[in-house]
Amino acid sequence: MGSRASTLLREEEIEEIKKETGFSHSQITRLYSRFTSLDKGENGTLSREDFQRIPELAINPLGDRIINAFFPEGEDQVNFRGFMRTLAHFRPIEDNEKNKNSSASEPLNSRTNKLLFAFRLYDLDRDDKISRDELLQVLRMMVGVNISDEQLGSIADRTIQEADTNGDNSISFNEFIKVPPVDGEQDY
Amino acid sequence: MSGSLCVKVRASPGRTSTLASRTILQLQNPAPEDSHHQTNSTHHKKAFPVLSFNFDHVRKPFEISLWILLALLMKLGFHIIPRVSHVVPESCLLIVVGLLVGGIIKAFDEDAPVQMLDSKFFFLYLLPPIILDAGYFLPMRPFTENLGTILVFAVVGTLWNAFFIGLTMYGVCQIEAVKLGRVDLLSCLLFGSIVSAVDPVAVLAVFEEIHINELLHILVFGESLLNDAVTVVLYHLFTEFSHKGTVTVADAFLGVVSFFVVSLGGILIGAIYGIIGAFTSRFTSHSRVIEPLFVFLYSYMAYLSAEVFHLSGIMSLIACGVVMRPYVEANISHKSYTTIKYFLKMWSSVSETLIFIFLGVSTVAQPHPWNWTFVVVTVVVCFVSRVLGVVSLTYIINKFRIVKLTKKDQFIVAYGGLRGAIAFSLGFLLPDNEMKQLFLTAIITVIFYTVFVQGMTIRPLVELLAVKKKKESKGSINEEIHTQFLDHLLTGIEDICGHYGHHHWKDKLNRFNKAYVKKWLITGERSTEPQLISFYNKMEMKQAMMLVESGSAAKLPTIMTPVSMQNIQPKEPLKRRAIPSISKSREQEIRKMLRGNLQKTRQRLRSYSRHDLMVDPFEEDVSEVRLRKQRVEMERRVSSNSAANKQSQPWISKQQLGKDNNIP
Repeated sequence: MGSRASTLLREEEIEEIKKETGFSHSQITRLYSRFTSLDKGENGTLSREDFQRIPELAINPLGDRIINAFFPEGEDQVNFRGFMRTLAHFRPIEDNEKNKNSSASEPLNSRTNKLLFAFRLYDLDRDDKISRDELLQVLRMMVGVNISDEQLGSIADRTIQEADTNGDNSISFNEFIKVPPVDGEQDY
Repeated sequence: MSGSLCVKVRASPGRTSTLASRTILQLQNPAPEDSHHQTNSTHHKKAFPVLSFNFDHVRKPFEISLWILLALLMKLGFHIIPRVSHVVPESCLLIVVGLLVGGIIKAFDEDAPVQMLDSKFFFLYLLPPIILDAGYFLPMRPFTENLGTILVFAVVGTLWNAFFIGLTMYGVCQIEAVKLGRVDLLSCLLFGSIVSAVDPVAVLAVFEEIHINELLHILVFGESLLNDAVTVVLYHLFTEFSHKGTVTVADAFLGVVSFFVVSLGGILIGAIYGIIGAFTSRFTSHSRVIEPLFVFLYSYMAYLSAEVFHLSGIMSLIACGVVMRPYVEANISHKSYTTIKYFLKMWSSVSETLIFIFLGVSTVAQPHPWNWTFVVVTVVVCFVSRVLGVVSLTYIINKFRIVKLTKKDQFIVAYGGLRGAIAFSLGFLLPDNEMKQLFLTAIITVIFYTVFVQGMTIRPLVELLAVKKKKESKGSINEEIHTQFLDHLLTGIEDICGHYGHHHWKDKLNRFNKAYVKKWLITGERSTEPQLISFYNKMEMKQAMMLVESGSAAKLPTIMTPVSMQNIQPKEPLKRRAIPSISKSREQEIRKMLRGNLQKTRQRLRSYSRHDLMVDPFEEDVSEVRLRKQRVEMERRVSSNSAANKQSQPWISKQQLGKDNNIP
């Protein structure tokens, strides 16, 4: 009883998270209950094992990388704030936000930031470039074990060929942004 | 004595029988007709006709072919006159041609063409190819992503339209001045339900030429396809009710139930046929020539089977095409795929052209009781109800959508609600009462108005409003990877949030598909091939073909290697020994010479077989080019990686001929 009470969400905290991430009150409370249900150790933070316990995530090819994205550099635990901050990237864009003037700093869930998030999932060594190897690794995860290295290699080469505009044989973030996702991007 | 033996001669058509009866008459009454008899028998003994004229024998196919030929020549003709075809959409021109032809025929006072757009012909022969073409090539991603919106427009929108139009027309008819007091409520509602449905043929014809962005296209088009269920139910409902005369609550409830039965039943039948078709295609590797027929026939059977039970044939056809397509395409040869594509396009093009021409012809051939009030009010009310419906539904839908529909989008959706031949044919099927002709006139006017006025003005309006046009996406491998990556990413995030959204279910469906369905419906190792790989193979093939066609294949240096290429070469990749390298240009010369000469002899010696497709020199070029390209890339990679020296050595040495086993 005692340890649970200390982790209950306070109103000020909700307000802060709201300001930082833009989620609504109800969304925050719902996600908080999800957070606590995942938090088996009941210590107010999530570890990697907590995430891995989600069954669908285990079979998701990008599962590990997504989990890693929640944890800041070198840490093994993520608290609710960090959890919300990462999830904020995927919050749907509200209508009223579109009219805000652009002098305010770009909200977390803008298209660019979403793509940056995705880019970081490719770019493990954080050198701001997706090298051929990093691409190969992601492809290998998505495609499974039946494909030979050669074929995968030629796919990777072709991908880089298509996207690479400055000829450095890797994909920078600017080149990454230019790949248009298929029309009708509902869930952005 | 002779007179009393008159045999009664039946008056009968046909020369032979009268001749026979006359001959019998001769035998019994010899005297007076002797001279006649003489001429008759000399008539018999005429010389053998070398050239004779017998048109009745081929009348029907001749007329049909003539019509189709006319339609296609018109289609050609429009594109020779460039100015006209830019302003006026093809459908309008075809209707005008139909009007002209109808007028000409009417001048000769024949009534044959009217029967041509009779409903049976239309629904059984003209409509299915268009719907199959649309359903088979339906872009699944935008369709499923917007399915909710499309359903709301199709179902709720059409219902709203039907009732609004029906009730308003009833109200108008009650006004004394209009003198249409005999029209009862149910007839008006029936009329409303016929004229309210957006027509896929007209939408396709017009939207195809204006190239708007995919979202709007799929919204309007999807709506026109899915509202068929609603139209079928309403039509049957009101027809039944007008027979019975009274409506009870139970009837209304049954109506709602029947809607679900009609739509879901149609989809179910289509899906079943689709699965059977996919399963059949698994075994066609030995008779590639008949593969396309399976696709066509199973789909057509799906349509007909649904029509038997008065279910929605259109939805059945679409479900069949959609279900069948991914599995069939994995199984059939590349040639069959091209055949299917081109046959579908060809048939649907012919059908569409014929439909519009016959629409024009039928207009002329009908008597048209004209009632200004009724017709004009119908047109106005149709437009008003469409706008109201779209605007209010969008307001509600936008609360649930993430990418909202802007005012511009709403305008295009409302403006693109064209009526077409389906409404006309349904009107034709109406029971013959006094109102039928009036209704038909009104329906035709609405159709003409939407196709001509709205069809012609939509293009400049699109330009004016600067609506987003269709992106010319060349389908790069980059996009495919990106899309899949994002799918996985978003599914993962959804799972973390515990939110069972769009991606979650799509992912579940994909897993089910991969684990169970693909194993049954796809031959051999292709069943385990990931989507990315098949996409990549397809693209490589396309590129290789482009290179061969442009003749630049010779520029690539010739090195050989085995790489998998399933659909081009059913036989094993050519096994070639490693030859000592000579200068590349010399090598090319030798190859060209050999290939040119060897192939000629080979083809002469092969026996003709109707059941097998012979390997084409073109295709051999294609595979050749593909091989070469891959090797070029490999070489480049080797030279660039030799410095980095990470993995260059191991996989070069793997280049043996027998490596094919690992490559699916």
